[in-house]
Amino acid sequence: MAESQGWDRIAEALDRLAADLRAGARAIEPARTELFELAGAIEAGAGPSPIVDRMRVLASTLTRQNAEEVVGAVSALVRDRDKPATSDGNGPATPSDDVAAFALDLELGTMFVTDALDHLGTIESTILQLEAAPDDTKLLNDVFRPFHTVKGNAGVLGLMSIQEVAHKLETLLDLARSGKHALGPAEVDVVLKSVDLLTLMIRELPARAAGQVGTDVSRRRRELLEMVNALIAGGPAADAQPAAAAPHEAAAPAAAVRKERRDDAQSTVKVNTRKLDALLDMVGELVIAQSILAEDPVLVRSLDERLNDRLAQLKRITSELQRSAMAMRMVPIRQTFQKMARLVRDMGRQSDKPITLVLSGEDTELDRKVVEQLNDPLMHMIRNCIDHGIEPAAERKAAGKPITAEIRLSAHHQAGSIVVEVADDGAGLNTDKIRETALEHGILDADAQLSPSEIHQLIFQAGFSTADEVTEISGRGVGMDVVRRNVESLRGRIDIQTSPGRGTTFVVRLPLTLAIVDGLVLSVGAERFVIPTFAVRESLRPLPDQVHTLQGRPRMVRVRERLIPLLHLGSVFRISGAREQIAESTVVIVEDADRPVALVVDELLGKYEVVIKSLGDAFGSVRGVAGGAILGDGRIGLILDAGGLLSLVGTDALDPAA
Amino acid sequence: MDTTLTRDEGAQARPGFDAGGKYLTFALGNEEYGLPVLKVREIIKVMDITQVPQVPGHVRGVINLRGRVIPVIDLRLKFGFPGRENTDHTCIIVVDVAHLGMIGIVVDSVSEVLNVAGSDIDHAPDFGDRVSTDYILGLAKVKNTVKILLDLDRVLGAESPVPIDGF
Repeated sequence: MAESQGWDRIAEALDRLAADLRAGARAIEPARTELFELAGAIEAGAGPSPIVDRMRVLASTLTRQNAEEVVGAVSALVRDRDKPATSDGNGPATPSDDVAAFALDLELGTMFVTDALDHLGTIESTILQLEAAPDDTKLLNDVFRPFHTVKGNAGVLGLMSIQEVAHKLETLLDLARSGKHALGPAEVDVVLKSVDLLTLMIRELPARAAGQVGTDVSRRRRELLEMVNALIAGGPAADAQPAAAAPHEAAAPAAAVRKERRDDAQSTVKVNTRKLDALLDMVGELVIAQSILAEDPVLVRSLDERLNDRLAQLKRITSELQRSAMAMRMVPIRQTFQKMARLVRDMGRQSDKPITLVLSGEDTELDRKVVEQLNDPLMHMIRNCIDHGIEPAAERKAAGKPITAEIRLSAHHQAGSIVVEVADDGAGLNTDKIRETALEHGILDADAQLSPSEIHQLIFQAGFSTADEVTEISGRGVGMDVVRRNVESLRGRIDIQTSPGRGTTFVVRLPLTLAIVDGLVLSVGAERFVIPTFAVRESLRPLPDQVHTLQGRPRMVRVRERLIPLLHLGSVFRISGAREQIAESTVVIVEDADRPVALVVDELLGKYEVVIKSLGDAFGSVRGVAGGAILGDGRIGLILDAGGLLSLVGTDALDPAA
Repeated sequence: MDTTLTRDEGAQARPGFDAGGKYLTFALGNEEYGLPVLKVREIIKVMDITQVPQVPGHVRGVINLRGRVIPVIDLRLKFGFPGRENTDHTCIIVVDVAHLGMIGIVVDSVSEVLNVAGSDIDHAPDFGDRVSTDYILGLAKVKNTVKILLDLDRVLGAESPVPIDGF
């Protein structure tokens, strides 16, 4: 009972401290010292405990503003010390999470969230590899370790319910590590479920710390813990299903998985993207400064060999530096691919279609932004494969195909772009059915004569869906049209190859980076503009009889029997010094979504790769302008946007020559 | 204790604002203005400015500041002064504005950095509805002159003033 007296004394001391702080009778520093001393006293009396750790964390966050909350949180800790915190899990099932520490030190909290979600991502992708190669102890360790880290960090922040789940999983995996428990599909399921649950709980932490009510996961949590306990006790998991999917097919992916892991151990550093972009900016400037220097008339004329050698050396270094800097933005596509492994596993089980996912080219690198935005379209394509492409097992058997279907996801570089392919070995696209549906939905005219491949393209039209039944996952509304839009917004292209009975392949071609665009540089007056080459159809100097006027003004140009509206850049953008006579100008025909517009400009200056920069928030959006590019001489040229330019046609209502 | 109280009163009159401190002063026409020095990132000579179409007249365009594209505002036009050709003294002051990031402002010439005591700063008098003074932090009396201290976030931010009549 001496111990409980000790606790009472500490509780009293805390009450006094709280009262003093409220009355303003105590400065912050001494109060902090007292909190640390009290923590020390508890440790001396009751030994190290999570309470002591948390008291110290709380004490170190103490400031004048949060003093009352902090002391209140510490008092609550002391008061509730007997409530089961963690570890043995035999007590009442739901320890209440205290988000106070989280709310008090948001920086620490945010770090925990980012970090933990990262770890959960690692667990998710690794466990799937582990399922294919259950004996790989390194993989097992790679699953075990992140759970351990999440558990520890959650404990420091007092997130007991998260800590408990992580701890249970850690226990299960530890048994597997020591060879006392074999990992089967049931264990993998439990790990995946816990990843989902923890992800949900951790995602909601910031909102809960801000006082919002989160999802009630107590039932899910309890069920999960029971499942894990059952597994640990050696019994079957509560909902252990017969392994419908992968295990028998393990050989192929296991091989793929093995060979890819060689460089996992490379160490990495997390860098804020703003710092990275600032570095890239400076490297870009260095390249410009170097080329201005190299083209300086004095140096160009110089015959001094040593000087020329040194300049050449400088040039080599700057271009090498630029290459390395650009490479820093690039990440392997692996993580995105591995997320698909989870999707295939879950969907295969739900739809009773055994499927193996074969990955290749996961090391292919591309711009981080492209990788991020590739996630959704890939997911839709794979859902599409499973829902519409791959036949039910019985049908496959009847057709003499292996019952287990195969989806191949691959990536490789090709001529300055990256090609990502999603291929299934399903039934292939049904041309007649697509035609029929397109007619039904009014996408196609009854008398239209289309080739099969043109008909296949129709699945990318908005409002098209051939699924007879709408499944839970591939759902309605989000179709291949969204995939195409996503891909196009990345300045990419999507194609389909299909053969009846043999399968369908989606081929997505993307630029390596969104930061750089290949552009045609144009001049209008003293200003220069860049138009991305993918939007340019052709350029010409129109003959007088090609130009047609409307109400006395040149309005259209006829190119091979097609009338294209003219847009005089100098007059819509009010640029002084632009050439006025169309006969002296050059016309560049650009296109957006198959609609052309003819830009009247002074001259074409050439084709360059330019770095795209945002004009910043100060401008909002300027119609017809997609951003700015720093040109070879360090000045800025505006990057034109074909879609926006089209909307400007007709706005130069005044005489272009005026 | 006394000093604390005095400061509290000042703070109440203009909440969240302690006007004393260092200001970068510059000229526009015959008037002298001041910017809190902490907002100023650098001062550069006026350089080639790339025009941006469809923007208000006081926006001169964008410049390349060592690899960053930043907008440039002509403070003369913003305040309704007549425009003027650049001279050798014309400068761009690069400032950091809340929510907008770095912005360049073109001024006639940059004068000096002044240490202004809080007690030398008056609030802008009320000119009635027709003249907005929201963007003025205060008026600093320095020797025989008055420097208009600007609240940049208001001058350049969303709630910026319309050009003022009779300036």
